[in-house]
Amino acid sequence: MTACPVTRREFVQGLGATVAVAVAGGYGISVWGRNPSLAAPAPPPGAWPTAAGRTLVVVEMGGGNDALNMVVPHHAGVYHDLRGELAITDPIDLDGRIGFHPALPRLADRYRAGGVAVVEGVGYPDPDLSHFASLSTWWGAAPGTIAGTGWLGRWLDGAVGDGDPLAAVAVGPGPAPALVGDTSFVVTVQDATGLAPDLPPWIDDPAELVAAWAGFAAGPVDSPALLGRVHGAIAATRAAHDRLAGALGGAAAGARRQRGTLAEFLDVAARLVVSDDVAPSVIYVHGFGDFDTHQGQPGRHAGLMGQLDDALDTFLGEVDAAGRAGDVVVMTASEFGRRAASNGSGTDHGTAAAHLLIGEPVAGGRHGEPLDLRDLDRRGNPRHTVDFRSVYATVLGDWLGADAATILDGDYERLPLLERRRSPLGPR
Amino acid sequence: MAYSTRERVSHVVRRLGIGAHPALAAGLATPDDAVVAALDLAAPPPAPPRLDPPPDRDSARDDGTAQAAFAFWLGAMATSPRLVEERLVWFWHDHFATSLRKVQVPYLMWVQHLMIRRYATSDFAALLHAVATDPAMLLFLDGAANRAGAINENFGREVMELFTIGRGNYTEDDVVAAARAFTGWVVNVPGRRRAVDLGEAWAAVFVPFRHDDGSKTLLGTTGSLDTTAAVDVLLDHPATAERIAAKLHTEIVGLPPAGAATARLAAAFRRDYSPLALVEAIVAEPAFLSDAAIRARVRTPVERAVGLAQGFAGHDRAGRALFGALRNLDYVPWLPPNVAGFPAGTRLLGPHRLVHGFDLAAVADPRALDGIGPAEVMARLGVHDVADATLAVLGAARDPAHRLALAVNAPEYLVA
Repeated sequence: MTACPVTRREFVQGLGATVAVAVAGGYGISVWGRNPSLAAPAPPPGAWPTAAGRTLVVVEMGGGNDALNMVVPHHAGVYHDLRGELAITDPIDLDGRIGFHPALPRLADRYRAGGVAVVEGVGYPDPDLSHFASLSTWWGAAPGTIAGTGWLGRWLDGAVGDGDPLAAVAVGPGPAPALVGDTSFVVTVQDATGLAPDLPPWIDDPAELVAAWAGFAAGPVDSPALLGRVHGAIAATRAAHDRLAGALGGAAAGARRQRGTLAEFLDVAARLVVSDDVAPSVIYVHGFGDFDTHQGQPGRHAGLMGQLDDALDTFLGEVDAAGRAGDVVVMTASEFGRRAASNGSGTDHGTAAAHLLIGEPVAGGRHGEPLDLRDLDRRGNPRHTVDFRSVYATVLGDWLGADAATILDGDYERLPLLERRRSPLGPR
Repeated sequence: MAYSTRERVSHVVRRLGIGAHPALAAGLATPDDAVVAALDLAAPPPAPPRLDPPPDRDSARDDGTAQAAFAFWLGAMATSPRLVEERLVWFWHDHFATSLRKVQVPYLMWVQHLMIRRYATSDFAALLHAVATDPAMLLFLDGAANRAGAINENFGREVMELFTIGRGNYTEDDVVAAARAFTGWVVNVPGRRRAVDLGEAWAAVFVPFRHDDGSKTLLGTTGSLDTTAAVDVLLDHPATAERIAAKLHTEIVGLPPAGAATARLAAAFRRDYSPLALVEAIVAEPAFLSDAAIRARVRTPVERAVGLAQGFAGHDRAGRALFGALRNLDYVPWLPPNVAGFPAGTRLLGPHRLVHGFDLAAVADPRALDGIGPAEVMARLGVHDVADATLAVLGAARDPAHRLALAVNAPEYLVA
């Protein structure tokens, strides 16, 4: 037989055309260049209980959210001095000291009802101001992991192993490094079409293609060992595909203007949470942003806050309507906060920041320690008061029921974020 | 299972090269002929394009360099007659896994690529020395931030843990000693104000006052070790040859070396650290042509993509389609998921990667597929012994484009 690779030259022309896109904007492509040293080996599946019936939803705000303008210390004169015209002058006051960005009215209502925990001062020692390095730190949460696993990937390894590929679902573009484990699998979906290939227009029916492909699931009984595993993997993939399709309803989630927005991602998340057949333990929403507001911050950040308020409220409403409000906790993540001082039209990369835990199970109110804006480091950034791994340890231990110290390779203080308090102003 | 001679020839070609090279394989009568052809370096090496260094940091993220580099590299994988060279270039990229995502300068990745290509078949010792002062590596593992009095252990640790002797063979004190030995290097980023002229733009430059020339003890060797001396200590350690030999055996045979094979291969490798000599020793092991080795590897996304390029014509947006597919598969050259390299084995068989395996089919020109039946689709992909059940699924495809997409994701093409 003679092959006829007639246009190899054309075939390879233009390769790498979008690599700069991946570099510049591709938070979805992960690399773990920092601090790789020693890591605990992956625990065996069943090492700790699964979080049956509970879901953790992580909303990653890529680019570095300006938390000082999200949870505004409006009582502090130094905040207004540092921020100048960028200071939020009309926050929604929560307790006479802090207030939410004015584009977060529904989140403020939920705070007053006790359903929002504000954790102030979250960061880590020796902060690195590069997106790359800081994201790696937040995703890995184990200075020592050479295998490149993420903190939730290690939880999956211990709780689920390769037993259920839908125990964790990433929602957004590309893989979510925080979910990467050694033995567990993770599915990424971008919209309500679910687990579907990206096909060219001349292959017009992905569903038919996947259905035809399922014909490979049953291999000959005398298949060599690896080929036998491939047949099994195809069968498992088909099953996961169908479960996801059932949960997501198959149709496009919403109006076209929603494509790639937090509203769409959280619509997908809501469908997954309320479905009996998937109900993942972890949903990691990424690709929300760009929060990297070096310039034009007031309008851009207000828009992002508005999306957050709107999408979260819709999500929580759907979860509540399905009677699942007691089973879902949402937490925010972001690689860093932003510089204390304004640069004139925006803010540069910073360090510690406030984060939110949202949902009926959380202990609403203020947690952690406020940042001291009078004590900045030599680059003009506030010093963290809460290690981000304390937040992780809390949700791993108190929500997912896992051995946080093993996953995080260290014992981090847990915060009382999930001890439900009814006081509208929380523990302070 | 009794494999046909054609399947055995294809086994040799896809293990010693990248992809299936169906046109070349068609002219090879036996597996032994295929070994000779795949290891033959008589043809001139592929000629890389000349890519200019960016004038400053701001323009260094330019896309054109990466485009030209990938076009060259994937073209070389698909068409260079020096098959084993392309296998080893990929192996060393995976081994010294450096990511553009941190380095951020495609030109420096290109410089590293050419450096790997220079030594890939000929000299692992020279390759390791070059890696230790490679500008992209200095940025990737923070060597450029490693200076006397403020050491950064990143490279010092990884060079032992991943690149040479492996865990269990060194202590934390050795990590510190290695890091101290490696101090002093910076990358001369053009446009940055400096007190002294560092010469060639984007080059690695040794700055004596940043180097710690005090006494240190690395793996039992004491002295005022510098970078060259520290790399030599690692090359002298027996575990280096053993680990590389076992890793390359696993890559090429698809199975880890059994029994005394590791010691045998390591001894052959240590003679002059020639990767080609190591490949020849691996190929001489009976395991290589055994039935157990055939189809014992999971085919990687890059191998699947290159195999597709060798068997089928691409369309004029094939490059972009291929990049999109590899990104969905999280298997993009120059973007390894972590410093330990690309995933392998059953890690490549999760639901996400299996479904997005179809994406690879987007690169082939659908107008060039007419009349290609099930058996020929697989043969063009270098797969000759195909189960009747597989052929039946391909035969039932609604049109040639669907058939190719199914073939790219068929069981026999998911293994290699």
